[in-house]
Amino acid sequence: MSRYIPFFIISVLLISLVIANLLFGAISLSLHDVLRGFQPGSDSYFTIHEYRLPRTLLAILVGAMLALAGALVQGVIRNPLASPDILGVSHGAGLAAVVYMIYFPHSSISWLPAVALAGGLCAALILWWLCGHRSSTIKLAITGVALATFYASTVDFLMLIKPLEINNALLWLTGSLWGRSWPQITMLLPWLVLIPCALYLAKPLNLLHLGEDSAVSLGARVNLLRLIALAVAVALTAAAVSICGPISFLGLVAPHLARKLFGGRHQALLPATMLVGAVLLLMADLVARTIDPPIELPAGIMTAVLGAPYFLWLLIRTK
Amino acid sequence: MALTCASTLLFSALSQAASSHGSHSANTLDKPITVQDSKGTFTIDYRPKRIVVLEFSFADALASVGVSPIGIADDKDPSRVLPAVRKIIKPWTSVGTRSQPSLETIAALKPDLIIADISRHEGVYADLQKIAPTLILPSRRETYQDSLKAAAIIGKVIGKNKEMQARLAKHQKIMAAYAKQLPKGVVVQFGVARDDTLFLHTADSYAGGVIRALGLANAHTGKNDSASRQTSLEQLLSINPDYLIIGNYTHPSIVDKWEKEPLWSVLKAAREHHILYVNPNVWSRCRGIMAAERMGQDLVNLFHPNQIAPQQ
Amino acid sequence: MIQTRLPFAWQCLLLGASLLVIAWISLFSWSAVPITPVDAVNALFNMDNTSIPQHIVQDLRLPRTLMGILVGASLAAAGVVMQGLTQNPLASPSVLGVNAGAALGMATVSTIAPWFGLLGTSVAAIIGGGMTWTLVMVLGRAWKGGNDSSRLVLAGVAISALCAALTKASIIMAEDQASGVLTWLAGSLANARWATFDHLWPISLFGLLGSLMLSPTLNILQLGEENARNLGASLILTKLAGSFLVLLLVASAISSVGSIGFVGLLVPHMAKMIGGQDHRRFLPLAMLLGAMLVVLSDIISRSIIFPMETPAGAVLALIGAPFFIYLVRQRTL
Repeated sequence: MSRYIPFFIISVLLISLVIANLLFGAISLSLHDVLRGFQPGSDSYFTIHEYRLPRTLLAILVGAMLALAGALVQGVIRNPLASPDILGVSHGAGLAAVVYMIYFPHSSISWLPAVALAGGLCAALILWWLCGHRSSTIKLAITGVALATFYASTVDFLMLIKPLEINNALLWLTGSLWGRSWPQITMLLPWLVLIPCALYLAKPLNLLHLGEDSAVSLGARVNLLRLIALAVAVALTAAAVSICGPISFLGLVAPHLARKLFGGRHQALLPATMLVGAVLLLMADLVARTIDPPIELPAGIMTAVLGAPYFLWLLIRTK
Repeated sequence: MALTCASTLLFSALSQAASSHGSHSANTLDKPITVQDSKGTFTIDYRPKRIVVLEFSFADALASVGVSPIGIADDKDPSRVLPAVRKIIKPWTSVGTRSQPSLETIAALKPDLIIADISRHEGVYADLQKIAPTLILPSRRETYQDSLKAAAIIGKVIGKNKEMQARLAKHQKIMAAYAKQLPKGVVVQFGVARDDTLFLHTADSYAGGVIRALGLANAHTGKNDSASRQTSLEQLLSINPDYLIIGNYTHPSIVDKWEKEPLWSVLKAAREHHILYVNPNVWSRCRGIMAAERMGQDLVNLFHPNQIAPQQ
Repeated sequence: MIQTRLPFAWQCLLLGASLLVIAWISLFSWSAVPITPVDAVNALFNMDNTSIPQHIVQDLRLPRTLMGILVGASLAAAGVVMQGLTQNPLASPSVLGVNAGAALGMATVSTIAPWFGLLGTSVAAIIGGGMTWTLVMVLGRAWKGGNDSSRLVLAGVAISALCAALTKASIIMAEDQASGVLTWLAGSLANARWATFDHLWPISLFGLLGSLMLSPTLNILQLGEENARNLGASLILTKLAGSFLVLLLVASAISSVGSIGFVGLLVPHMAKMIGGQDHRRFLPLAMLLGAMLVVLSDIISRSIIFPMETPAGAVLALIGAPFFIYLVRQRTL
């Protein structure tokens, strides 16, 4: 029974954060206003229904997706420092986005998510092409890191020779929920199919955790499992990043926090990670919007500022 | 503090919105106004009263015909709005940064017209339209001529076409008067300096356009001109303009450091003391009718230092 | 294998001569103000005070080139020492987070407390770099020896990403500074002057000499920690001294020209290919090669969008990152 207590707590936290996200912002609304905001034609209809509600939902979705991807990657690579970032997906998406912004400045900005998504998926394909499916997970991780470094330096190079585009690109590269609304949520919805897939992988991932030898002897097809888990992680990351830009540390911190609260069994860990990820991103966005209104900070900055010190503390303590 | 301020604003906005519904019909025009903006045709059939602008140049255009915006994306720093504009318009509400304005603050102001910048706000154009009709025009990285065109469009949309045309004609006269006081064809280069970088605004930039309009010449800064470019001392030496106008964003800026170097005296402008320090905010951020006039004034001060007391 | 190599002295001489030629080319090439090769020589030995090109060579190009040489040699030496200490071929200032840490230190100081000035930022760079380096070594368990090298690299990358995110945050908060800080983050020699050179050279020289003195001990370390202990080497002392030298070299280089990366990763491998596995030999070669590489990429960085400049560090990263991929693929992990 005690296993459900943390679940309960974190769900309550999630719900109260959702309510807080609807209540507070550049302008605080009363609960009454918030409720009326769901009816078309009321004064706060735009603020609630068109602005805060989609943004809150998006924070939940993106947070959950990135965190889930992180848990999958850590489950496969079996290294606490691994995260979706080391597959080079978010950097690949960033590179594609920056190339698009710099070389097609006049084309519509609404294509940006598609371009970023393509970039992220291409980066994953390149990684797979370089490593093949037979190489060890560590080699995969380090190659991914090297590729990510390459994409990052290309991004820096492009931004330096075309300095005019910097601000737009930098804002996108930090990760932000600003200006995202219902259309972006609709774009994310198809990818939610991956979440049950990931949860289905929980049991085999547990076996993998016992060490590869025992996993083989237990009959799990290790290579196939790893490939599927990473592919799901890549798709989740690419989809989330294509909408909001790379939100740093979510994929790294959320699984750690979840593991601390719920233990390492993937059946509990994977759903818990999603909850934790959603909570973290909601919190970050709430802080980013309310810390100095009407200034909006990118949520990616807040996740870095809040997540990074915690992550360090965690790493040093668990050593 | 900011929260209470915003909420009182909200309530006043709410009460005004209630009354504005009634007065809306009084504002309705017989014939709707149609203009071309950066997204195609923009039509409006009433005279907007509550306008939110998301760039300084739009605030400048409104102020030029005596209209006050209720909200400005002023980066939460009122001093960034041109002093001349500040003098004309009534107190406004900040709606956040120009790059990421707070949409809920804008919505709370209940605007009936939003003027946005195509380069910064295209991504939220759909959302802005849900709040109020949105006129989207070029501002960031526009040229001087485009800025005047945008002002003319704004004049039409707010129902002050005649006043705006008159103001633009007056602007041309003022600029011509400044031009008369300035020598023809002298090469003037403007740049903004930060801690460790100098950005020159080339002939394609807004400042470059104003300099040309005043009968001065732009420095030749080399091929593939972009509107502003980072420059090293070496390149500055090869550009070697007659007059150098510097806006320092920080102190000490890189130009302050360069001044101490022996090579600085090789610059024509340094040798003849033809370096003017101006407000970088006015010269590079504000853009607009009054900003251009202020720039002309600054230049006249530079060329006739004894005639007028130094600005600021 | 060894017979086919040139004698060590000849290798040094050859590399030294090419360095001189490259340095000379960098004195006059791709200049906005036309400079002739002869001007470059005259400015050094027969200065004509009325000639602007010669002034440019003396006041801008010469300190810039010398700075490139020093920075390149420092970073390469730091890379060699790091790879020797950790026995990890991927170890280098940029991969293990020292660059990112120093950058974060400087960015924090220059946005939060700009009144500290130049001294403050250098100290901040050293402190930031030192903290990340310690952290990475602790997290990567490199102090205990053993060959968990991938853990070290992952730790370095995670800490780098962390610092980079925080650096970016401070840039965006300080708004509008973006482009300048980006240039600095990439590392550029464009603002190198005699004043900065005067600050840099005593520290660099000390660090370079120190690392040369450390090289015999590094050789012993390669025999494995057990053997090294039996041979009487004090492991703790070596590691402490080595880390101190790395910090000194990297932080002094970074605080004067910005965060130039990948020299420390790339050059030691090139030097090993030329000079073999003996640290006493390939360390000096690595210094020469590092100097050449940085000066060369400075020349390239001026030519790409002439007459504008790209930061040399950005060019280096474009060369270095594919090499990183290549190295990873070469290794049997």
